[in-house]
Amino acid sequence: MRLSTVTTRYVEALFQLALERDVLDAMEADVRRLAGEVSDPDVAAYLADASVTDEEKISRLEKVLSDMNELLGDFVRLLFEKGRIEVLLEAGDAYRLRLLEHRGATEGRVESARPLEPAQLDELAAAMGRELGKEVYLRNEVDPGLVGGVRVFVDNRMIDNSVQGRLDGLSRKLREARLGAG
Amino acid sequence: MDLRPAEVTSILKAEIENYKGETKLQSVGTVLSAGDGVARVYGLDDCMMNELVEFGNGVRGVALNLEEDNVGCVLLGDSTAVKEGDEVRSTGRIISVPTGDALLGRVVNALGDPIDGKGPLSVTEDDLRPIEQPAPSVVERQPVDEPLQTGIKAIDAMIPIGRGQRELIIGDRQTGKTALLIDTIINQKTTGGGDPTNPEQVICIYVAMGQQQSTVVDVVNRLEQAGAMPYTIVVSASAIDEASMQYLAAYGGCAMGERFRDAGRHVVIMYDDLYKQALAYRQVMLLLRRPPGREAFPGDVFNLHSRLLERAAKLSDDAPNINPRFEKGGGSITALPVVETQEGDVSAYIPTNVISITDGQIFLEASLFNSGVRPGVNVGISVSRVGGAAQIPAMKKTAGGLRINLAQYRELQAFAQFGSDLDKATQDTLTRGEKLVEILKQGQYAPVEVADQIMVIYAGTSGGLDELETGRIVEFEREFLEYMRDTKPEVAQSIMDTKKLSDEAKATLDECIQAVIAQMG
Repeated sequence: MRLSTVTTRYVEALFQLALERDVLDAMEADVRRLAGEVSDPDVAAYLADASVTDEEKISRLEKVLSDMNELLGDFVRLLFEKGRIEVLLEAGDAYRLRLLEHRGATEGRVESARPLEPAQLDELAAAMGRELGKEVYLRNEVDPGLVGGVRVFVDNRMIDNSVQGRLDGLSRKLREARLGAG
Repeated sequence: MDLRPAEVTSILKAEIENYKGETKLQSVGTVLSAGDGVARVYGLDDCMMNELVEFGNGVRGVALNLEEDNVGCVLLGDSTAVKEGDEVRSTGRIISVPTGDALLGRVVNALGDPIDGKGPLSVTEDDLRPIEQPAPSVVERQPVDEPLQTGIKAIDAMIPIGRGQRELIIGDRQTGKTALLIDTIINQKTTGGGDPTNPEQVICIYVAMGQQQSTVVDVVNRLEQAGAMPYTIVVSASAIDEASMQYLAAYGGCAMGERFRDAGRHVVIMYDDLYKQALAYRQVMLLLRRPPGREAFPGDVFNLHSRLLERAAKLSDDAPNINPRFEKGGGSITALPVVETQEGDVSAYIPTNVISITDGQIFLEASLFNSGVRPGVNVGISVSRVGGAAQIPAMKKTAGGLRINLAQYRELQAFAQFGSDLDKATQDTLTRGEKLVEILKQGQYAPVEVADQIMVIYAGTSGGLDELETGRIVEFEREFLEYMRDTKPEVAQSIMDTKKLSDEAKATLDECIQAVIAQMG
């Protein structure tokens, strides 16, 4: 996943503040909830609506923000002021990744042909963690197209051990062999 | 295109054997933007400079710009097949080409894949060499002292090229630059009988960059007809290939040559031409958003050529003891880069750059070429800065007179146009000059052996031909060489054995010259 540079900068500032005030985890929950709210297509469309003033949008959001950390409210108001409200959509992911990085961890995904058992997932995560020197959280995605085996993506690294990957490699080799002959 | 079942089987066999093999951690990235033969990629954390990367659909690319949040790649295949969002994988391999004997007699593209329809190359993983290699250092070299005979009288006599030298061939379009290269390749047959296994045989590499495909086909046909292909490699990145291939071809060709050089062999490599290579490089660099400089070339266009031409060298005999990467000392790479000028403008950016890098230049002039002086070498302004040391003494001595005579001739030529009243000495100089110019003319694909060159030039400089009509010089040359071969083969033999032209041989030559003139009537 690629986050925009702008999002990374704003979220970094929010993270630093949360770190100073020692509210990292509470903040994570709040940011996730907020991002979840605004990712609703209706809400997103409302926020992007140019005919509604910022004050009105803020006052609507105020309801959600009221029981959240006050930093977050100010963060949202700053975003409106700077005309960067789209940052809010990615803020949840960005904050989570930043928090993981802070703890020397990272997350990734495993593609497999069939759903993996939790124990298998843990084993894979531990193995990847040893390789990368980080704690790794993996989430499972099912892709029947892989036929068998798994494909692990973590931090721009990949281990391809799927039947599909093997087949792709083989077809490439065979094609190159023919190229040489012709 | 024929499918080769045996090969398919061997690939499948290897695949089965390695089925349970180690899986490796690869860097992956995503294409942010692609177009015009370049792609920007997000990710690829451990990517190396010049690393080969693979796009989702099998297209390969080279990482050239490593930036903080993205990697700029040039694509080496069908660039329309790469889309935004495609997965990109690193290969952990610096861009390399196959090298070795298997390439001799073949036509390959910039990546070393054969394109001549003669089947795959039989090379192994060990034969791959990175296309960029550091040039030999000061201690690993020795001065140029062996001649590289081009078989062209004007060049071997007055602009001699030594093994390990870099001699630029510069001129407008249609002045015989490529023809000169072909003749040089053909003439290398005399070094080892055209047998590539003979260690004396000079290996030739012709790198065509941005040329028309028809030109490349023509070159290959010519070489085949002359029996020169067995010791030659043709690397072709013609005008239809991607710009990236066009500029990388030179380095690939050089890496192929280095394999032979490091094994103690002699190689001559021709870059045809570096101007088009610079244009291809400029295109790629502008698309990668590198800042343009003079004539919109990127700032490192000088280095583009200097690092390439520095790899031409004559290795010291002791080189393997200094650096184990050299298998055997004494090998050499002679580089003959070509630069095409526009309207004879040698002071343009790229020509001046390459002139300053090389050890001399051969100017080919359209006016000379069109007035029938072929090869159209302007011997007045062509120079060879180091080749003199490599000339055999007999040639050095004979050609010394040639140079002076021609210089005087050129000086007086302007006067001669005015008038009739010239004193005897002037007229003599003019006649002598005319004959010498005639002697230096030479047909295409007809290289002359060095002993023959010496004998013919001696005939001209000794004054033996002053009485002969200028129009009959060509006829004389043919008759004379035939006569020498038939009746006095020992003269040529003694020149080759002693490398000197003895007084005795001179006397024989004088006699023979008169005999042939008399015979011609």
